[in-house]
Amino acid sequence: MAEAGARPSGGAAGGARIRAGRGGGLAAWLAQERVFRLIPFVVVEAFFLLLLAVPFLLTLYISLLKWRANRPFEQAFFQGFDNYFDVLSDVEFWWALARTFYFAGVAVLLELLIGFLLAMLCAQEFKGRRLYITIFLVPMMVVPVVVGYNFSMIYIDSGPLNEVLAPVVQLFGGDPRIRWLSHPIAAQWAIIWADVWQWTSLTFLIFLSGFSALPPQLIRAARILGAGRWQIFWRVQLPLLKPVIVIAIVIRSMEALKIFDQSVLLTFGGPGNSTQTVAFYLWRQVWQFNKFGFGAAASIILLVMFSALIYYGIYLLVRERATLQREGG
Amino acid sequence: MRGAPGARAQASFARRHHLFWWFRHAALVAWSMFIMFPIYWMLATSFKDAGEWVTWPPHWYPYQPTLYNYHQIFAFATMEKELSRQATEQVFSIWGAMGDSMLICTVSSLISLLMGTFLAYSVSRFGVGGKNFRYLILTIRMVPPIVIAIPILMYYAIMIPYTTDALFGTRISLFDSYTGLGLLYTATTLPFVIWMMLSFIDEIPYTLEHAARMMGAGRVYTIRRVVVPLVASGMVVTFLFIFILNWSEFLLALTLTHPNVTTLPVLLNKFQSAVEGRLYGPQAAIGTVITIPVVVLGVVIQKHLIKGFSFGMIRK
Repeated sequence: MAEAGARPSGGAAGGARIRAGRGGGLAAWLAQERVFRLIPFVVVEAFFLLLLAVPFLLTLYISLLKWRANRPFEQAFFQGFDNYFDVLSDVEFWWALARTFYFAGVAVLLELLIGFLLAMLCAQEFKGRRLYITIFLVPMMVVPVVVGYNFSMIYIDSGPLNEVLAPVVQLFGGDPRIRWLSHPIAAQWAIIWADVWQWTSLTFLIFLSGFSALPPQLIRAARILGAGRWQIFWRVQLPLLKPVIVIAIVIRSMEALKIFDQSVLLTFGGPGNSTQTVAFYLWRQVWQFNKFGFGAAASIILLVMFSALIYYGIYLLVRERATLQREGG
Repeated sequence: MRGAPGARAQASFARRHHLFWWFRHAALVAWSMFIMFPIYWMLATSFKDAGEWVTWPPHWYPYQPTLYNYHQIFAFATMEKELSRQATEQVFSIWGAMGDSMLICTVSSLISLLMGTFLAYSVSRFGVGGKNFRYLILTIRMVPPIVIAIPILMYYAIMIPYTTDALFGTRISLFDSYTGLGLLYTATTLPFVIWMMLSFIDEIPYTLEHAARMMGAGRVYTIRRVVVPLVASGMVVTFLFIFILNWSEFLLALTLTHPNVTTLPVLLNKFQSAVEGRLYGPQAAIGTVITIPVVVLGVVIQKHLIKGFSFGMIRK
């Protein structure tokens, strides 16, 4: 940075000389250090401002209107904070929010546990390791909608899951053709398992690279000093892996809270509202019931709620990344 | 817990190791089967005839393998009565959605790649935007897409038509248009591009550019002839990665396009609510068709996936 700032005059002069034939005044002005460095920044910021910031100001305004999309926009009238009260007093909104956190919590916990175990088993070199790793990374690349579809095929009443369970169920005299997705709790677990199926691959990958970045000298030193396998794991490897674990938790939780695709494809929010996540709930309110003012208020409320979470998440990421770099360097 | 020295300990270690070998492979094979089964089932269903889609007991493999499902989704026009009678009169062709997906994903990924690479260069070399800029950009990615979709819907469907009406006298709506969805895809993938390209550009020593500049090369020339060749492979990887992300995106495509523009995930969802009941076979065929290229691309850039998905937090 200091070096870059020290010689703009020489560089600019050189640049100007070579391009004297075609470059006009504008090109020379753009090639100056203080202008040139800002060009991409200004372009991207203007893009974000126009595409994301302006819509949010508009949303703030619309959230104060009484308006449904089945009437023209001109007929909407100002009604103050009523939409916000409507959202906050809607029980289903809070249930959807709680459900989202429940799904995300359980799914992320399972993903972390399974991913960590698999990464531990794959950490050392052995025959067939590359094949296992390749297979484990496949789900990450499968389109989420297709995952939802695949799991809906497995859970249907004459699907493979029931066929596998049939001997056990028939032993107790039940009908083996269970309709899994018609039962609230089974449907919730269907969504959780679909998420675990897809995203354990990511936690696995993160932990695997964490294991491979562990300094072997430390582990060898611990072994020479007489530490057993468990001791090495708990006292040496786990503390060194802590930043990686925190990063995996933050990244996965942030993604898991967005859960939407599986709700649509697997259960469509049902049975009842038992698998309605907050994203699905809002989608329904706005795109099916046309409650635009309500949707605008809800998205502002959600944004405020989530921004606290996001801020904390990024704080954690920055902190742990600094730790990783200190250890690495 | 502590490993005692001596031959006996050695022997017990070997035995334990052997047990561990079995345990390891049992666990890994079990998980591999859990991973592969849904994919296998989709493949199998896509080759099944209409009568085999849902039978009890289910067929573990297609008894009468048929390409009928693929014929149906790849049909250019209405199919022959003979063929289409088997499942439904309605024929769903994949070509329109395939074109839309390809166009939107390619163009928006390219624009995002260009903008993001230049910004990453600027951030890496000049520290533009302050020390925390690279973290601030992550917030855009972490906001749930539904929170973005609602404002964008109102922006595209109300504000832009009203504004253009006032300014130019014509109503231009970005709702349900290639431009509208493409712009949004560009915005949502920019954070990934910036993070991935930052990690690639940070690795190039600054002295190379310095030397080029000292010899009289202009700024753009330096970037084009010195920086870009060095990060070209990184740019390809980044492009493939964000292409996969855009290709699989569902929520924004579902909410911001309705009759005209249809991407492949939305098309798959349409089959779900088909009037004649669900068309499992064609659905499986579409699933296969959209999954295979992405998985192949993914295996190619496997090593770099972590850089993208973990925002460069983890180095590999």
